[in-house]
Amino acid sequence: MAIVVKRINANRQWYLWGILSGMGFTFGKMFKNLFNKKKMPTLNYPEEKYEYGPRFKGSHILTVKKDGSLRCTACMLCATNCPADCITIVASEHEDPEVEKYPINYEIDVLRCVYCGFCEEACPVDAIRMGPEWQTAGANGSNFSYDIKELARRPALKGGIESRLDDKERHSQGI
Amino acid sequence: MLKCTINGKEVEVKEGTTIIEAYKEMQEDIAHYCWHPGLSIAGVCRLCVVEIEGNPRLQIACNTEVRDGMVISNVSDKVEEAVRWGLDFHLINHPLDCPICDQAGECGLQEQYMKYGQYDSSMAENKVKKRKVVDLGPKIVLDAERCILCSRCVRFTEEISKTNELGIFNRGDHSMIGTVKDKPLDNDYSVNTVDICPVGALTSKDFRFQQRVWYLENTATTCPGCSTGCSVSVYHNKEGAYRVKPREDKENNGYWMCDEGRNVYKFVNKEARLLSAKTLNSGKLSSVRLAQALEDFTSFNREGKKVGVLLTGQNTTEEYKAILEMFAGADFFHWKNNEEKFNDFDGLLKRGDKNPNTNGLIETISNLKDAKSFNASNYDLTVAVMPENFLVYEDYNEKLESLKASKNLLLFSAAKLPKMELKTENTWVFPLKTFVEKEGSYLNHAKTERRIQKATSIVTEAVALNEFAAAVSRGLKININHHESRKQNEFTNIPGQY
Repeated sequence: MAIVVKRINANRQWYLWGILSGMGFTFGKMFKNLFNKKKMPTLNYPEEKYEYGPRFKGSHILTVKKDGSLRCTACMLCATNCPADCITIVASEHEDPEVEKYPINYEIDVLRCVYCGFCEEACPVDAIRMGPEWQTAGANGSNFSYDIKELARRPALKGGIESRLDDKERHSQGI
Repeated sequence: MLKCTINGKEVEVKEGTTIIEAYKEMQEDIAHYCWHPGLSIAGVCRLCVVEIEGNPRLQIACNTEVRDGMVISNVSDKVEEAVRWGLDFHLINHPLDCPICDQAGECGLQEQYMKYGQYDSSMAENKVKKRKVVDLGPKIVLDAERCILCSRCVRFTEEISKTNELGIFNRGDHSMIGTVKDKPLDNDYSVNTVDICPVGALTSKDFRFQQRVWYLENTATTCPGCSTGCSVSVYHNKEGAYRVKPREDKENNGYWMCDEGRNVYKFVNKEARLLSAKTLNSGKLSSVRLAQALEDFTSFNREGKKVGVLLTGQNTTEEYKAILEMFAGADFFHWKNNEEKFNDFDGLLKRGDKNPNTNGLIETISNLKDAKSFNASNYDLTVAVMPENFLVYEDYNEKLESLKASKNLLLFSAAKLPKMELKTENTWVFPLKTFVEKEGSYLNHAKTERRIQKATSIVTEAVALNEFAAAVSRGLKININHHESRKQNEFTNIPGQY
């Protein structure tokens, strides 16, 4: 097999033009940002934070009922639908026969979670949502397996997000 | 024999066959709730309707016998329309409980809805509310709202268990199943009503909310609960077994099993099991790798030693053969739990002999002695195979205690052992496989062979007796095969290593 030797022609050999155009671009941007700070696209994280829209799929939220108890009925459809297999639910019998089944343990391994939102879509009772929070970084040794306390009652939720679907309303409508 | 055409295919069936039986024989799909092969015909659900040529009206397949030359179809538009409407009526008062209902995933109503329905309710009236979470005895919970009044459970208590606890009360919309004055539904076969319930109206307390059914696999095997050896399916996932259900077997158990047999999954799960092999190390039993314990035992010189073997009727025939070969010339003792009840029979399925393979043991080992005359101190080596279902052995702890007197002890146990202070010279303890982890056969009360299948592997270090015997006799030059289906690369199969 022949070897093709590529020879750079004379005007490409003279590289100063390339360097100068590159420098021009860099310094152009620098001076633009120096004198027009407001239009600068980057953020000074963590002092400045970007607010995503309400439909952003970030940290999971377990919604609550009007009385503050968990909306989740432990049907395990989210766990079944989860492609990363990161949801673990332990169901139990509730003392109130109207509720019947509820989760005594609900854990999401967020390090395995791919934030696809399939759990939210599978949920028949609007019990799990994906909220706008996105900063889930943690220091060494922090717990990345979120339990009910973290998912439903973390301080950022200000006492819990109420579910849209209420069983008592549903029953009073005769369904 | 009668000739008929079902969904365009010609078949021959026996005289007296109903149309639905012919469908089942052909393995054609037909919707039905109230019909059950083991029960009488009720004809109340109206879902098995078929179109018969020459007959202007649709007929129910469960209560119509096949006649010669009949042309039957259940795939026509007319039938589908009728089934759709039948389903619509069933769903009028059915609650939207599927997320919390245990039956979801194996529910007849759900399956039909996915096939024929998928529509929104068109009812203007409110749903009729009925009783929910009714405690119906020690094993069963009733949800009257979910019931579609197929009357299978009522017919079961009438015809099979003959206890007549259940009935349908009130009329029309307000009809409900229940027991008189909420008397408990408590007979030896009551959980069968849960199995035959096509919806989630009757649920088993034991299985309630433990697992969603679609997470469970099932394996066809034999119940080791008594000498009847019912055909059952064990439902399991990677964490263990969760329930046992009867499997159709017309010769042996029909479609049923007893409630006691449903507990057999409880002693196979990890919490109840001995997890590793143990050897005696400076007066204390300590856990070692299986390979280590096997090596330890093979280095023990058995030549000319007097051996006593204690066996129960809870192992497979293959295991008995292996142990007989391994300890040829030893004294074999048969440990019986309740000999006086061995021939008890309740007339349906349950037998007094709570060992699945008593006959297998007697047939395999001819010179068996009664374990009452067993004295561990008479032998140089005592081999004790503890029963896997130890709950039916009242003298389990006493026997375990009596083994302390042995000089050298080789102990097999599937169950977790209590703390033992041993004064033996050598002790080897091996975790034993239970019926869900091994293959083999039992010989039941009628001396017919009942096969057990390997369902899952719960304790990875466990061995069956025949595996143990093979490993010892070949000087550890084989691998103990936990995954029979998986073929091992011959280059990684180094003799003596596991």
